[in-house]
Amino acid sequence: MAKATRVIIIEQAYLLASGLEALVGELHGVYVEHVYHGSEPNLTEKVLGHKPDIIIVDPNSLGEQFFSIMKAFQNETDIKVVGLLSDNAPNPIKGRFSHQLNRNHCKFDLLEDLKKIIGNDLEKKPSHNQKLSNREVELLKQVCLGLTNQEIADKLFLSVHTVMTHRKNITKKLGIKTVSGLTVYALMNNLVDIREVENRG
Amino acid sequence: MLIEKDMNLADVLHHDHNLIPVINRFGIKLGFGDSTIEEICSDLNINLDFFLTITNTYHDPRYFANSHLKSFDVYLLVDYLKQTHKNYLNDRIPYIARLIKQLMEDTTEHKASMKLLENFYKEYVNELTRHIEREEKVVYPYVLKLEKAIDTAVFPDELTRQVKTYSITDYEKEHENVEEKLFDLKNIIIKYLPPTSNQNLCFSIIHELFILEKDLNEHARIEDTILVPKVESMEYVILNNKS
Repeated sequence: MAKATRVIIIEQAYLLASGLEALVGELHGVYVEHVYHGSEPNLTEKVLGHKPDIIIVDPNSLGEQFFSIMKAFQNETDIKVVGLLSDNAPNPIKGRFSHQLNRNHCKFDLLEDLKKIIGNDLEKKPSHNQKLSNREVELLKQVCLGLTNQEIADKLFLSVHTVMTHRKNITKKLGIKTVSGLTVYALMNNLVDIREVENRG
Repeated sequence: MLIEKDMNLADVLHHDHNLIPVINRFGIKLGFGDSTIEEICSDLNINLDFFLTITNTYHDPRYFANSHLKSFDVYLLVDYLKQTHKNYLNDRIPYIARLIKQLMEDTTEHKASMKLLENFYKEYVNELTRHIEREEKVVYPYVLKLEKAIDTAVFPDELTRQVKTYSITDYEKEHENVEEKLFDLKNIIIKYLPPTSNQNLCFSIIHELFILEKDLNEHARIEDTILVPKVESMEYVILNNKS
């Protein structure tokens, strides 16, 4: 699974905010983390505190603070700041945004625009090879036999750090987080013998 | 949908039947005809505002933000949370166990795998039960003691010591491991169980697990966003009263 793309919306108008939320919700792996009205005190700190990937801003919701808040957002180069604009938005405002969504567009166009803005993050979705490598299978067996990370490292001549990386990858590939869940998987697939598991200390 | 007191409870349930176990926890049983929520609550002596808050919270995750929950007596909340625990332990969990047992009995060729599934489920249930017992034996009595002390304005030294040595905030993080096991359980059935002929039974099990998961999430949310802040403020009152 790819990392989720997190979106913050700044929109005072309830209908527009709900519409934006619904639009974002159409995309797999993209979530609205929070909706702000725009008039909250310390808005910039609050928004950046979420460490969002994308901020969608309606300039109308920010009023006079617009330029100062935009400046703060643009210092964060990792975050894409998207303006929700109408056809007749004045140029000084339009010019502030490197990305835009047009309020007057139909759903299809908006989705395409949003996909383009999110871009690479969205395409990276599932890595196609979800099968465990031989090394990972070997490691999984040791986990099921009840060995600690240190014991596995000693046995397989790896560093503890490498063992942990392997374990993370196994969990990511299989979608199983707990040791007993991994054991069930290994047993069902005959990777370990039930008698060995029962003898673990 | 915003649930309001003059609404017909039957209509509400047509809209969201997942609320049935929730109203059960208030002592409401099906078969109430066309009565409104207000009528039913007054018949059964249920705190109307509390009922509306819980049902709305459960029905719509976004409801919370604007509510004014803080004015409720904590014992109402503790009572509701205990009823929820009872519902899990006496009804939901044994029901899923029966379904899994049936799945095992129905298959001839994959008995070993089904047995593994059954054991994993048992392990999950044990962990959930331990978690629930700790809440009922340690957390809730502590919370009720705090409320009593504030209501009666009597602050025993022992209680003040207790507040100083441990605080409710420690309990917030405890839900995690139980959640992970449930996540694994769903994935094992969906992705790794050998194909069985009784797919409908698998659907029933998965369906029940999803409902249980949603319910547990709501439960944890109510604890973390209502109970914990409420208790934190009571702890504050007690500590400042003593010093």
